[in-house]
Amino acid sequence: MAINLKELVNSDASLISRRVWSDEAVYQLEKRAIFGKTWLFLGHESQIKSAGDFVQAYMCETPIILARGENGDIHASINSCTHRGLPVCRSDHGNTKRFICPYHNWSYSVDGSLVTIPQERAIKCKPDKRELGLKKVPRVETWRGLIFGSFNEAIEPLEDYLGDMKFYLGAWIDRFPGGIEFIGSPHRWVIDTNWKLPVENQLGDVYHGPHLHASIIAADSEAGIEIDNYAYNVVPTKGHGASFRLMPEDTPTDKIAWGFETPVGQLGSDELKNYLRSVQATAEAQVGPVRARMKGLAYGVYPNLSFLWSNAGFKVSHPRGPNKVEYWSWSVVPADAPEHLKQQLRNNHASFFGPGGLLEQEDSEAWIQQNIGANIDFADDRMLYYGLGLGEETTHPDLPGTVTTGANEYYARAFFQRWREDLLAEVDG
Amino acid sequence: MSALERQYQVEQFYYREARLLDNREYQSWLALIHPEIRYSMPGRSNPMVNNRERGQQDMISVERELEGLDSNGLPIRDENYAILWLRVDRAYKMNSWAENPPARTRRIIGNIEILDDDGDTLQVVSNFHLFYARPGLRDFFYAGQRRDTLIRQDSSFQIRCREIVMDMADINVPTLGLLL
Ligand code: FES
Ligand SMILES: [Fe+2]
Repeated sequence: MAINLKELVNSDASLISRRVWSDEAVYQLEKRAIFGKTWLFLGHESQIKSAGDFVQAYMCETPIILARGENGDIHASINSCTHRGLPVCRSDHGNTKRFICPYHNWSYSVDGSLVTIPQERAIKCKPDKRELGLKKVPRVETWRGLIFGSFNEAIEPLEDYLGDMKFYLGAWIDRFPGGIEFIGSPHRWVIDTNWKLPVENQLGDVYHGPHLHASIIAADSEAGIEIDNYAYNVVPTKGHGASFRLMPEDTPTDKIAWGFETPVGQLGSDELKNYLRSVQATAEAQVGPVRARMKGLAYGVYPNLSFLWSNAGFKVSHPRGPNKVEYWSWSVVPADAPEHLKQQLRNNHASFFGPGGLLEQEDSEAWIQQNIGANIDFADDRMLYYGLGLGEETTHPDLPGTVTTGANEYYARAFFQRWREDLLAEVDG
Repeated sequence: MSALERQYQVEQFYYREARLLDNREYQSWLALIHPEIRYSMPGRSNPMVNNRERGQQDMISVERELEGLDSNGLPIRDENYAILWLRVDRAYKMNSWAENPPARTRRIIGNIEILDDDGDTLQVVSNFHLFYARPGLRDFFYAGQRRDTLIRQDSSFQIRCREIVMDMADINVPTLGLLL
């Protein structure tokens, strides 16, 4: 089926077709146009601290081994043997010198080079092992310990790609003098929905909070009132997004410090609270006066990385076809917090987010139900409405990017404008 | 009390608990929960097998797949009474959309084994199979093990500690936020 992109997304992206969320041909095009071309999040350096450490990752549906080599370099290789194609790494994480392919026991080092071919002894013409390593991800770069890979050799440097998104990510990460740490393995769960919906939810869908989650976060709760008064959605570059509250200058520490607004912070020990206060006390020195007043909500980095501020998680929405995602979600803590406080802070994420999360189970529910609506027939002439706040986007002297209020859907329109451009570029080729 | 009587008492306690949960009588269920409860579900990953443990049972122990309880990993759930109370509370709100319509669950508790009993406190493991269906969705199947610390209370028990080990390879169910 030929895809007419202009029929799927209108010019200002205020109308989006259900097919964008459910069509197999659209998905196959997304793979080439987006997942083959952009920077994709792989993991964080704290997951692979020592030589030989590895974790599994994905770039769309392609399995990746992310590893720390002997010399401390980071390597990303496709997890598929050059002989017959089996995955050579069969664990989620670990430390090793070699991956041994099950079928004929070719062995690879963690950096992906082929080390031994056991059958070599029995043949005369020896293959050139240097040519037969695992396929490398051609571009791998890091920023603040966050590791990204790209299949696009010609892509711009990661820092340019992130652009002003660094300002907003740094508002959290740079508060902690020792940076951040990913704790343990990610939660991974399968949801019957399209990969873009979890992304859109975190990119700037501020106003689903007091509605979808009203059984936990009431509209008249403190968070709800702060969102009404102080929330901004910013689009630094189309496809990226940051939503947050910019608190007034005289806000007391406990109303602004990261970690305080969750039950873990609220019910936490004095020691934990004092730690969170101490982070806020140095925030201005670490990130400057404007960013020290930021109390984040959720962010997105194009195409499929999300960050959740108060419950501290990084998430990736890995497509598994047009109607399924494997959602990965890591708990993130300040690297230099005392170990026993990290164990308390990780519960900001567990129990509230993830597959058993008090809050996130409502999101999963909404996403599964959206997928039902995205797969119906006889409604192609009734596009989904993305027009809230159309034309009301503006700027702010302290905030780089296009700025709107929390209820404005420009964040999503900008995402789909970029999405359509990327797909059009691939089709026009 | 004989070992047989004790076994019977513990089994009856678990059957009653299962009935309350399947009947969605969560408020009554809370009465079985000790105020100091630790209720957790470890994360379960697939770590690299340690070559040095070849030939020993430890090499493939279940324990090495679990993370986030006392170790430095991420649990799926790690909850106290207040959080369980929140879960019960939201079950009776119209706008708890993940429970509206509510799920139909049917669980079978089995392999109930008392590992230790010091008079006040019992260590008990049990297995469960749970069928889960919500109108509008597919049906799902859950399997796992519960590792409980029970405290004797009058002629019954309270759950002081529960660790739930889930067995699925991929988490492909609508929620792991159930009361299990
Ligand atoms: S397929 Fe990997 S060694 Fe043959
Ligand atoms: Fe949400």
